Amino acid sequence: MKNIFLNSNNLTIGYGNEIVIKNLSLSLSNEKNYEIIGKNGSGKTTLSNFISYNFEGNLFDSVITRDKLDISEISPKPTLLENLTLDENVAYFTHYLSIDEETINSKLNKFKLTDYRNDSIKNFSSGMIKRSELAICDIKNPDVLCIDEPLNYLDKEGIEILEDLLNIRSSDNRCSILSSQESLNILTNMETVNLNEV
Amino acid sequence: MKFNKYLIKKELFTEFRNNSSLYLITPTMTVLIIVFPILAENRFAIDEDLFIIIQILFLILFSTLFSIRNPIDNQKLSRELNFARITRSEYFINKITSEFFIYFPQILLFSVLYSAFTNTSVKTSVLYFILTIIFFSVNTVMVNIIFQMFTSFNNKFVQFILIVPIYMAFSFFIAPIWLGINQELINIYLMLYLGITILIFSFTNIYLERNEK
Repeated sequence: MKNIFLNSNNLTIGYGNEIVIKNLSLSLSNEKNYEIIGKNGSGKTTLSNFISYNFEGNLFDSVITRDKLDISEISPKPTLLENLTLDENVAYFTHYLSIDEETINSKLNKFKLTDYRNDSIKNFSSGMIKRSELAICDIKNPDVLCIDEPLNYLDKEGIEILEDLLNIRSSDNRCSILSSQESLNILTNMETVNLNEV
Repeated sequence: MKFNKYLIKKELFTEFRNNSSLYLITPTMTVLIIVFPILAENRFAIDEDLFIIIQILFLILFSTLFSIRNPIDNQKLSRELNFARITRSEYFINKITSEFFIYFPQILLFSVLYSAFTNTSVKTSVLYFILTIIFFSVNTVMVNIIFQMFTSFNNKFVQFILIVPIYMAFSFFIAPIWLGINQELINIYLMLYLGITILIFSFTNIYLERNEK
């Protein structure tokens, strides 16, 4: 049986008095994968932020039921701390888990980041930051992973690593939510939340 | 109350690697301290009453500059805390701790330097002097974090205008103790200071924990 972690029949969210998403019917399971599709300004980022507890706006009269899960979000704006090194960022963002050094080494190696572990994030390119965030999410292995504009800044090799990560998560029955302007066809078993139709 | 060494370490590393705070404010204030007595009375000694007033003004000025040095971006902070699975109440406690570690040695050193360069001493014991600095530090750090976490005043000028009167109120507890009043009054003032500290801390902590449920 699929576990629904977020359910609403009339999700209406926005900022101030401005409504961004109106009366969206949403039911998300933590064992399925989803893609949020919509044109510019349709509310993809807002919905992605809402799902991952990063939304700071108004919920109006929405009736929402949700379970508290471990949800991580990767957005186009970097979350990593630029004054810290990659190793320090990994330690900070995974401090609540007991992960052995060997696992961290192998994950960083998978994302081709081993040579940059002691480098400050402020010297990283946007692509490197994105890879680092993906590597941290791979180490954390959250119940739900939201990625807003997943292909942004990634080169061909980076996209292949991302696909690999999403496929492993899918085979482990862990939920991934991708948000972009059009369908990316990264995973075969994805359900679509189309914000153009709301 | 949960101390998170990773969060404290992160705050300390960020501070020491951020050129716009310690490296700018502290030397500026030190130069002001050294230059002030010469400007005020054309010698390295000033009148004791003037010393107390000006030292408190320096405390307020330094605290205000310290407070507005690195404004917290609430949206970025929220994202960071969610990614690291840190609650806002946990952040509040650990941020106070890390800010205290950064702020207290500076303000203590700054006060001692001020006394040395003006050839003037406070009329109270070292213990009370340090206690007042500790209370002042904890309270200014807490008020600054509360201001940044709960208000949308991202304009440094507005922050400056609002935060200075609060720091003035905190410093008014210090002045009588440094001026050398009797023991009973010192105890009363210190108890008042302790009460204010506990009140601000517990009220904010209860508010944050209630919102997290």
